[in-house]
Amino acid sequence: MPDRKMFWRIVRRLFAAQRGRLLVILLALGASAALTAALLNLQVDARDRLTKEFRVFGANIIVAPRDAKSSVAGVATLDESVVQKVRQSLPPRASADSYLYLVASVSSANSTEAVNAVIAGKRTEGINRSSWRSAIVTPRGNKNLCLVGVKAAEQLHLQPTDQLTLKNDKREETCLSEIDDPHGDAQDSQIVVNLDAAQRLASLPGEVSLIQLSVAGTPRQIRDYIAMLAQNIPAADVHGLRQFTDAEAKIYTRVSGLLTATTMLVLALTGLCVMAAMTNVAMERKNDVGLMRAIGGATRRVLRLFLAEAALLGLAGGIVGAAAGLLLSIWLGKTVFGVAARPRLIVYPVSVALTILVAIVSSYPLRRLANISPASVFRGEA
Amino acid sequence: MFLRLVADSFGRRPRRKLLTGAALALGMAVVTAAFSVSLDVGDRLAHEFRALGANLLITPQADSLPLEIGGVDYRPVNSGSYLPEQDLGKIKTIFWRNNIVGFAPVMEVPAEVLTDVSTALQAAPVKTTLVGTWGHHPVALPDARNYSTGMDQTNSWWHVDGRWFQDDAPEAIVGKSFAVRTNVKPGDTLHINSADRSIALTVTGILSAAGPEDDAIVAPLQIAQQLADKPGQYRRLYVSALTKPEDDFARRNPTTMNAADLERWSCSPYASSIAYQIKQVLPGVDAHVIRRVAEGEGSILTRVRSLLWLASFAALLAAALAVGASSAAAVIERRSEIGLMKAIGAGSGTIGFLLAAEQLLLAFVGGGVGYALGIILARVLGEKIFGVAPEPSILVFIIILALAACVTLLGSAIPLHRASRYEPAPILRGE
Repeated sequence: MPDRKMFWRIVRRLFAAQRGRLLVILLALGASAALTAALLNLQVDARDRLTKEFRVFGANIIVAPRDAKSSVAGVATLDESVVQKVRQSLPPRASADSYLYLVASVSSANSTEAVNAVIAGKRTEGINRSSWRSAIVTPRGNKNLCLVGVKAAEQLHLQPTDQLTLKNDKREETCLSEIDDPHGDAQDSQIVVNLDAAQRLASLPGEVSLIQLSVAGTPRQIRDYIAMLAQNIPAADVHGLRQFTDAEAKIYTRVSGLLTATTMLVLALTGLCVMAAMTNVAMERKNDVGLMRAIGGATRRVLRLFLAEAALLGLAGGIVGAAAGLLLSIWLGKTVFGVAARPRLIVYPVSVALTILVAIVSSYPLRRLANISPASVFRGEA
Repeated sequence: MFLRLVADSFGRRPRRKLLTGAALALGMAVVTAAFSVSLDVGDRLAHEFRALGANLLITPQADSLPLEIGGVDYRPVNSGSYLPEQDLGKIKTIFWRNNIVGFAPVMEVPAEVLTDVSTALQAAPVKTTLVGTWGHHPVALPDARNYSTGMDQTNSWWHVDGRWFQDDAPEAIVGKSFAVRTNVKPGDTLHINSADRSIALTVTGILSAAGPEDDAIVAPLQIAQQLADKPGQYRRLYVSALTKPEDDFARRNPTTMNAADLERWSCSPYASSIAYQIKQVLPGVDAHVIRRVAEGEGSILTRVRSLLWLASFAALLAAALAVGASSAAAVIERRSEIGLMKAIGAGSGTIGFLLAAEQLLLAFVGGGVGYALGIILARVLGEKIFGVAPEPSILVFIIILALAACVTLLGSAIPLHRASRYEPAPILRGE
């Protein structure tokens, strides 16, 4: 179709004729595409990263015995089959710690008398990512290690790697002590041992007091997961640790609202920037439009010509800019969260499409040119 | 003549100037909003984080080892030491008193409970723990101001169905599992025995705490004191304070600091420096930072803040591009004018000065309007997201004006530079 051939020929010429000016516009479009892609990607990534970041708080879901016959600690317990079930339903980025609490009398070589202390038997399932300060070193294997809270260590006048003797009724366990970092809460006065050792000590084989889960996700995902778990384990009481789930939900909503708002604002601004640049081009096209109309170009065809030009510019700027933006966001993610932001593929076409759209919309002032009468252009007016 | 030229330039082509000004104002509005929100976000989020509850724990210095599981101390009443309740007002006298959001003393007493139903059935009493604390308790401050605080502030995630107990009445709220177990409803009377003392309490609400308190009775501190025969004393104190995320400086040991460092350290609201100050006003206590809460809070706050600064800088960049582009356009347009002025004898410097003055005027007007718009935008955003509008800040205003001037001048610099090299003749011929 010769008509179409001509159309594209003119478009080609348009590009060739004003290389300098077009480069500026291309730069503006590219920069805006880069900014759009970087921000969009960072926004998607930041929400995800934030939910993981929340896990520095540690556990957010508790599985506890439902029917506490007595509230005195250590009496109501869960069967380890529950732990099994929890482990099977554990989402990929989550960990579960099962605990058995009991009170035992503890003595060390240096202490003159035995001290009563809370012993927490602990076993971790899944990858432990609750890395707040010291992801408690779980005592491993047969080397009976125990992690002694700072307060407990102080009471026992404990030196690192002292031998500890834990006694409950007539049962006795020994372990090699290791002093924990200060936590500021109940853990400072507890002694963490291997779950098996605690079970032997309490003579409660295969029983745990509670299971703590640390599950990352949006508030909604966590709610759904709790509901799912509660349905799977009717024997136990599954609930969110509301101190953390409530605060997390609140903060998540706020921060993601803020992010959306700023992203929107910046997008609007980049649009404005492109528009300013495009308007200038349009204004300079007055003579071209007048000439084309004078030699018989229909207004619509002339407009189409310029729109095609704008779209092509948008495409080119978008393809290059968005790629640069994704790279930028990877680096930005690294500076903010210390972990490179994962590029989301969806962001790429979205930002390219947005750039093209902005380019076309900002050619809107070209419409005005449609009303220019060719004669006045030739006379040098207008 | 100079002023007349400038005035004329605005008067003759108001529409064109308006467009450039509008672009400037919009850009600056967005930057203002982004900066105002970013400046404010630390404070706002710090308040939000107080939903996490206490970040400081105060215990007696010379104490036996707490037998604490999940926040409830199972030690017998006569073991361990206690702290005097009357000193608590002093917490609000420390340097960072206004950062103390709330505090609540706690004392647990093992209790045997008889309900109306179990008395009627002559059933055995139920064993549980009675947690004595402040619901919403008036505190006598040394400067005689009114202040009241308690669990409703430090543990804001506690939901009470019904109402909280009155701190001076024989009332209590019961945990929801305990309520299910014993079939207790608000309005019932509980007969509580501990050792050889007994007391009757009216249930005013059902507590859901998602913690061990769900299986306990929560009552005014003075009830627990009566049951334990420890008048005016408490075992633990939870303090919720607005803090600044800790950095390396915050973790240094205050006892090894020199005077200047110590002053700087105490004048920053770090959790550890607030703990240190509390230790100084309350004799015989140990103040610990609850690491789980404080550090999680700190790391998230730092991240969110830098994220928002980043977004603000992106806004700044975008605004600079937009404004720069439109001011460049404004100068390019005036080629023929520049040519004419040169033809009648104006030097490049004079022309540059004239155009720069026009652009600056535009920048200040546009920047001012943009700032006003931006403050409105920030209010809308702040209220929508946090329910509180950020305070307008003079600092932002100055930054915005300086920025607007900078960006317009930079944007015009390149075309101006080119304009200074124009030969008047070809321009006048229209080439």
